[in-house]
Amino acid sequence: MMGLFQDLLTTFNFIVQGLWVTISVTAVALTVGFTIGVVMAIARVYGHPALQTAVSAYSVVIRAVPVIVIIFILFFVISRYVNLSPFWAGALALGFASGAYQTEIFRGAIQAVQSGQMIAARAIGMSRLQAIQSIVLPQALRLALPAWGNEATLVLKDSTLVFAVGVPEILRRAQQVSARTFEPFLAFGVALLLYLALTLITTQALQWIERRYRLQV
Amino acid sequence: MKKQMLIILALIVAVLAISACGGAPAAQPTQPPAQPTQPAAQTAGKLAQIRAAGKLIVGTSADYPPYESIDASGNFVGFDMDLIRAVGEQLGVEVEIRDMPFDSLIASLQEGKIDAVIAAMQATAEREEKVDFTIPYRMTKDAFIGASDTTIVMTKPEDAAGLAIGAQTGTVQEGWIQKNLVATGLTPADKVFSYERADQAALDLASGRLQLVLMDAEPALELARQNGLKVLLVTETTAEGGKSVAIPEGAADLKAELDRIIQGLIDDGTVKALEEKHGLP
Repeated sequence: MMGLFQDLLTTFNFIVQGLWVTISVTAVALTVGFTIGVVMAIARVYGHPALQTAVSAYSVVIRAVPVIVIIFILFFVISRYVNLSPFWAGALALGFASGAYQTEIFRGAIQAVQSGQMIAARAIGMSRLQAIQSIVLPQALRLALPAWGNEATLVLKDSTLVFAVGVPEILRRAQQVSARTFEPFLAFGVALLLYLALTLITTQALQWIERRYRLQV
Repeated sequence: MKKQMLIILALIVAVLAISACGGAPAAQPTQPPAQPTQPAAQTAGKLAQIRAAGKLIVGTSADYPPYESIDASGNFVGFDMDLIRAVGEQLGVEVEIRDMPFDSLIASLQEGKIDAVIAAMQATAEREEKVDFTIPYRMTKDAFIGASDTTIVMTKPEDAAGLAIGAQTGTVQEGWIQKNLVATGLTPADKVFSYERADQAALDLASGRLQLVLMDAEPALELARQNGLKVLLVTETTAEGGKSVAIPEGAADLKAELDRIIQGLIDDGTVKALEEKHGLP
């Protein structure tokens, strides 16, 4: 019993060192994805028709390509010209991929804000940009939150893919322990608990934000 | 209200960005200083480049004891690790080891992300097309293993015909199975299973999904001892020669120097001593 506890502690201490890597990769990916998503969604709904087509193309192409392929392209092809570390190649690739999904999330949310509000805002003298910034976006972001929370947990799990270019996140550390100790259940059990904890924290935080900014009608 | 919302969002983004920046160095404690990536064609001066950098960046897949693994304190340990450090010492440079999946090693070497690969890797014809190899530092044997209660008896590799068999993806063993069992019609293709790591294949042996696993002999002995599996046959037939260090294609000066150092380490008994240290037959 004592031995098992000792094993568990050693395994946990080793794997938990990958926690920060997983969190960092996910945070970068979500930030990049959020920025791309909001900008692209606005362009998709309010932009020039040519711009709308370009954004749709990005969204369709990126969503069609497996994330691992985007990571390989960034790390092995793009970084011939730009010096990208494995961490940044992996995190940015996840961000580009998530950006496509977030574009669709925010596009849906923006379109869900009744078009009459835009017309009304213009009628009282706001510019289009002002109306988007002050009237449409604050509502759209609220509407997007539940779907965005879902995307955040998906990106968290996709962060395991960055090991393909040598970034040692939680899952790889679990594999290393499993290969050394031949106790896969212990190693992957610890990884599972860490992912579960991260997912719970993320969803709780987003639910708090949702409640905090719920519109009182 | 709307301003507050925007401020909060800006804060979230800022916090995420800061945590990301803080995380990057932690994730890459040993990132080399920015240097232009060498296209595959310009590898002639590789040795001079490594000497100038004072560092040999070596890729491995640290899930293959006793050749390479990571101990509880996060250090790279094993026969290959000790050997490459001895090579680095003779070369007069520091050795930096990077862990990545076995499948990514050759591509990373081709793209100049790493200077060499040591991962119990054998110089196959397919790999020779993409990268160069040093002389072998150790000849290999393979082993067929089965579950503890298996009734299979093997006297030659072809006795594996028709049985559900597993191997690690992209390895020499998998190639041998495809060439000698599947292509010859001895084993149907749907009875051959490929795993990212050999220990996963061993798990499927225990669960009964596989009848045999073909892998390198030494980790097989280790795996069999720890998991109570049965070693059915140890053979040289399925192995193609020995394990070598992979280096970028055309890096002739690096190859000459590494060949000389490795031959020296074999001759002066260092390799033998390391084999004994790590329990390799």
